[in-house]
Amino acid sequence: MSCPVKTWSLGALVLAVCATPWAAPAADNPPGETDQPLVFESSIQPLLARRCGKCHSDKIRKSGLELSTMAGLRRGGESGESVLAEKLDDSLLWQMIDGGDMPPAGEPPLTDPEKQRIRRWISTGAKSDGTHTATVTQHDILPFLYTRCVVCHGRRKQSGQLDLRTVESMLKGGKSGPAIVAGDPAASLLLKRVHAKDMPPPRELIRAGVRPLESPEVALITRWISQGARKFDVPPDVQTTESDPLVSDEQRKFWAFQRPRKPPLPPVSGSYSNPVDQFLARRLNARQLEFSPTASRRTLVRRVAYDLTGLPPDWQDVERFLADESDGWYAKLVDFYLDSPHYGHRWGRHWLDLCGYADSEGKRSADPVRQHAWRYRDYVIRSLNADKPYDRFLLEQIAGDELYDYENAKSVSREMMDALVATGFLRMAPDGTGSDIVDTVEERFEVVADEIEILGSAVLGLTLRCAQCHSHKYDPIPQRDYYRLVAVFQPAYDVYDWLKPTSVPGQSKQANPNRRYLKYVTENVKQKWTVTRDKHRARVAALKQPLTDRLTALREQHLKQQLAKLPETLHADLQKMLNTVADQRSEVQKYLADKFGKQLSVSDAQLVKQNADLAQLKKTTDKQVKELQTQAPPEPLIRALWDRGTPSPTWIFRRGDFKNPGDLVGPGVLSALTDGKTPFVPQPVRPGSTGRRLAFARWLVEPEHPLTARVLVNRVWFHHMGRGIVESLSNFGNTGTRPTHPQLLDWLAVSFVENGWSLKWLHRQIMNTEAYRQSSHTSPRLLQRDPDNRWLSRMPLRRLEAEAVRDSLLAVAGQLDASTWGPPVSVTVQPDGLVVSNKTDGGWKRTIYVQQRRKELPTILETFDLPQMMPNCVERPNSTVAPQALLMLNNSLVRAWALAFARRIEAQAPADRTRQIDRVYQIGLSRNPTPQEKQYALAALEQLTAQWQAAPEIEASKDIPAATRALANFCHVIMNSAAFLYVD
Amino acid sequence: MTFSRRSFMGSVTNGLQGAALAWLFSRDLYGGSGLLAADSLPDTRPAGYNLLPKQPTFQPRAKAVIQLMMQGGPSQVDLFDPKPELDRNHGKSILKDIAKNLSSPDAAGGLMRSPFQFRAHGESGMQVSELLPHLSKHVDDMALVRSMFNTHQNHEPAIYKIQSGKTMPGLPSLGSWISYGLGTLNQNLPAYIVLDSPDGRLPTNHVQNWQSGYLPPLYQGTRIRSKGVPILNLKPEHSEPQPVEALSRDLLSKLDRIHRNQRPGQLQLDARIASYELAARMQMSASDALDVTTETAGTLANYGIGESATDSYGRQCLLARRLVERGVRFVQVYPVGQQWDNHRDIGTSLPKICRTTDRPVAGLLTDLKQRGLMDDVLVVWGGEFGRLPIAQLPPGTPAKRAGRDHGPTGFSVWFAGAGIKGGTTYGSTDEIGWRAAENRVSVADWHATILHLLGLGNDELFFEVHGFKQRLTGVDKPRVVREIMS
Repeated sequence: MSCPVKTWSLGALVLAVCATPWAAPAADNPPGETDQPLVFESSIQPLLARRCGKCHSDKIRKSGLELSTMAGLRRGGESGESVLAEKLDDSLLWQMIDGGDMPPAGEPPLTDPEKQRIRRWISTGAKSDGTHTATVTQHDILPFLYTRCVVCHGRRKQSGQLDLRTVESMLKGGKSGPAIVAGDPAASLLLKRVHAKDMPPPRELIRAGVRPLESPEVALITRWISQGARKFDVPPDVQTTESDPLVSDEQRKFWAFQRPRKPPLPPVSGSYSNPVDQFLARRLNARQLEFSPTASRRTLVRRVAYDLTGLPPDWQDVERFLADESDGWYAKLVDFYLDSPHYGHRWGRHWLDLCGYADSEGKRSADPVRQHAWRYRDYVIRSLNADKPYDRFLLEQIAGDELYDYENAKSVSREMMDALVATGFLRMAPDGTGSDIVDTVEERFEVVADEIEILGSAVLGLTLRCAQCHSHKYDPIPQRDYYRLVAVFQPAYDVYDWLKPTSVPGQSKQANPNRRYLKYVTENVKQKWTVTRDKHRARVAALKQPLTDRLTALREQHLKQQLAKLPETLHADLQKMLNTVADQRSEVQKYLADKFGKQLSVSDAQLVKQNADLAQLKKTTDKQVKELQTQAPPEPLIRALWDRGTPSPTWIFRRGDFKNPGDLVGPGVLSALTDGKTPFVPQPVRPGSTGRRLAFARWLVEPEHPLTARVLVNRVWFHHMGRGIVESLSNFGNTGTRPTHPQLLDWLAVSFVENGWSLKWLHRQIMNTEAYRQSSHTSPRLLQRDPDNRWLSRMPLRRLEAEAVRDSLLAVAGQLDASTWGPPVSVTVQPDGLVVSNKTDGGWKRTIYVQQRRKELPTILETFDLPQMMPNCVERPNSTVAPQALLMLNNSLVRAWALAFARRIEAQAPADRTRQIDRVYQIGLSRNPTPQEKQYALAALEQLTAQWQAAPEIEASKDIPAATRALANFCHVIMNSAAFLYVD
Repeated sequence: MTFSRRSFMGSVTNGLQGAALAWLFSRDLYGGSGLLAADSLPDTRPAGYNLLPKQPTFQPRAKAVIQLMMQGGPSQVDLFDPKPELDRNHGKSILKDIAKNLSSPDAAGGLMRSPFQFRAHGESGMQVSELLPHLSKHVDDMALVRSMFNTHQNHEPAIYKIQSGKTMPGLPSLGSWISYGLGTLNQNLPAYIVLDSPDGRLPTNHVQNWQSGYLPPLYQGTRIRSKGVPILNLKPEHSEPQPVEALSRDLLSKLDRIHRNQRPGQLQLDARIASYELAARMQMSASDALDVTTETAGTLANYGIGESATDSYGRQCLLARRLVERGVRFVQVYPVGQQWDNHRDIGTSLPKICRTTDRPVAGLLTDLKQRGLMDDVLVVWGGEFGRLPIAQLPPGTPAKRAGRDHGPTGFSVWFAGAGIKGGTTYGSTDEIGWRAAENRVSVADWHATILHLLGLGNDELFFEVHGFKQRLTGVDKPRVVREIMS
């Protein structure tokens, strides 16, 4: 996704200044100026310095634009285009001035004579006296060599012993001599080979992931060489101790960029023990509203159970909490479900949405599977169940590889392995570069940009992507800051030195594909694998045994027959020879082997040819072995991201285009979220690592970070209350919504950090409130005063999310496989197009353990709004469409689960319709039926049974008694009912 | 605010029973005054996304679109864009220039002349290959664009670009944008219908071809299969006796009514009831729309139905006509597999796919014209790219087995029907048919042109994502190709 490109900095849409009549001669023209064409240095440069220099000097260069030299004008700003042009109307400089967009509002506008002077200068050819000829530095041309050449002539590989990464190495050259001759483009081998179209080699382009140099690139390289191939001292743009010229303190005053401060508790009428209620009540009271009455106890049990585990509560738990007469029953209820292992399944899923979890690479139709991605999923579930502090959780996911010296560790600890697995967070973006043809800098950069988008939307609550192509139009995020982030990730994600993901079958000829794995697993994990691997090997051997035995027997028989043809005196010696391995035989034995070896031995193929039954046995055995081999447990690997040492340089891509490189930048954080005077100083812990991501992660989890805690508490709040305090969950910037309860947000954020970044603390704080316990019933008065429930005058009624729909159907049907962890359950695309997850021995696993491929989502989940991860999902849509009804009514699996539900009920309450109805309600809806519901159900069951008894045999339900079929119909109705699919 | 509890409840109850009854008696008892239309209800649904007909930005030329998606990459120099230069330079190598466009440079041969003859047709004299004898009769109703180009040389990204404007998955497709912008005229059928490969296999990029991306799922394409159950889950795999179904629906309706009565003012529950109603109506309408037995023998023959080569694609084209006739807004038709992807044996493989599609496509144009639908329906034909003018020939293959590799830099597409100036030939490629030269038409231009014919301004058709206006055609300003319009 990209945003509309606008060339210059914040356009002030003030009045479009009416252009003065063009023909009017300027009054203050210096004498003689009307006759002579104007020259930049004498007539224009001083004017631009005076009027535009505040933002576009050689020091400040807002939006990447510098107007102090001709070179700067020609070079242009972030748009990557010259601001001059042959025609006046095409000149961006003139468009901005003429349209009144520049200088921006608040700055003194240009006078008419000044405008006329610029107009005339451009119209007469934008002359300069030539003293400002543009100098080409090595950083103007190096990006092209990095894009087109260094894959073979760089850090990892130096074909022809040539390295094109530095001026020195170019001058030094390789086997064929220097690559360039300073001052002499015609004599420079590099250009010769390029002009001859021999380099990059046409037949290697796709495999190497490069494309030929384009003519403007060649032209610039030529100019640089002819200017002497000089090396200039170009320091990367990084934050210094001097204040940042591009982001002002005024811009930093925006609420979300300020540190959160704990506000005092507001005075309210009524006494609420939980501060959260106090903040909420004040806003409600101001609108003559109060909290809705507390919901019934059974409603609360169901609400809390679904909210924390995504499953319906067990009936015995419901009964226990209904019967609990202690004051603290509700707090106990919350704790009970927070302690459930299913808590991690539910809230882990929320996090997986944010990081864009998928078990496949995406982007390509083949959608190759990411074999070990599930370890990250398990890590997330485990971390949440253990209430790992959020700061630690983030630190591990963003820089886990930089926390430990795992390469030199004596043994790999659980923490170490976890930290490496956690970096899977940064490996979740869709990635098509496993196919050679889309493995270029452009597509690689898309992956990096997706990761930054994930980080921005999930953790920072900012729309960073806008700054990929130009400085953010609404937030103080210069394009420079975006590329500083790129530099933070470059040691691990280097677009010029790429580690390929899983190959797309048939689309990659790379020697070492799929290199994104580390082997640093714990001894325990390794051992477990060895055991299963050996077991598997034993199974394979056992499968082969009958064939092996038969072959051995036939071979012995053959030997016997052949020996019989030879003189008996030789038998003993021949046997001895055969029992001795070839290289230990004596001279005599060698002779014997030479003479009789062939006669005595027989190959498997010959034996198979001779015996039809053996051929059959071999065919079936081979097939079975092949099938079994596909189930061989893969060696445990970690799909990780790690720092690979000093990376390639990072250049700004003007307009987001790698072909249009701009300034060299170094790593850094977002200036708007700092004081703008603090340098970014990586302090590596692991030898060989740059420490860039670790420094970034540490900055992110500073207790007073303006956004980290706010964004997180807002998300948790959203999942509990159905709407965020900041409604735009992933946009806390200027175009996002303002918090409805700013003080509450800050109180929660600061308290969250004070309480050790504990998520479970946060859940308790939010759930143990009047607000959370409210009824979801609405009324005309509530609808009028609080139509969209912005002030939380009630709890929202909510439909189950996709996973909860599927898991609940399985849970009530008694078909939920309770096993956890490990590789995902695969999915199958049926011939009719339905996508279903496969059954395990224990039923069906929870949805979080079902393979999440991008191209095929299980139909039931997709129908209920499971999103495609592109690259992640910050908020799920909530649709109510006909295909949902069709699926719930007609889908064979749902019907099969209804039958399983019925059988479960029959086993518990055979032949007692009243009790059966009770049980269906208790298990399915966590309550008892009302007399009226019971009456309807009884009548329906009676009629259904009668209909089934009278119905002709139907193939699908031949052996099922009519009473069971009728009960299955009733269970199916309950599974379809609004009461099942909605939580009050 | 007018909030009448009684009318509220009344409409809800009727609504649900209506669904149940409609289901049972195969007729729509619902009438026009739906639950959601009940005027006494406060409509506070946060985003009122629906498929009701919407006003276009300006006077539309077309009301519906049939997109004949020729994925694989039909070869322009063998079908619509004759190049004498290829005859003259047959065999000449241009490898060094063209290498970056090649997925398999090892198989790159020299320039290759077309093995097929071209001839001028109709009053306009449009040049069409001998492979398309039936379509050739319609040239005076068609506008041919010879200067289309795409930005990627591989199927998947190039198809994404055609479908959704960018070379990546996850974005709303053209049909979704049109459904979002215009709604649909028939509430009993989906607004956007996909008639995918008759052999039941999904096309390249699978269901991502008709996804709705960041638009609500309501706008995604509904796949209708020509065999078996036409819409996923439209009917149960094993149906139960009708009285059983009736009793179940009746019970569901009663229980939901109790649930609903206890929760006044919850609009989500109304929407749910409405969705069950639409499900019921879809079961009936879809069956009717897909039943071609009422068509005359003449009509069937016109599409080539009944003849082995053309039967399956002919049926799809006929279905497309039946659907637009019933008010479906956007119909997308796919042939079997990637048959236009003629990497080898172009001398035999290209004639084969032409034989299966030429008659049905021509039949569709004839049928639309006869029924006066040409004034309302726009037909667009084209692939994700064309093919290169050089031979593709893996080492060791005899020359007569040559094919052509993907050619995104210049290819031909055509338009016909509503708003189109028939007989137009617009734009050109270079002398060898490699790159679009004059009057280049980008994918964004192509999108903008289709939207324009439907009365949708490219600027006005946007969807806000995180405060940013996202458009089908992205950030660059596209050009509507007015030169092909009547």
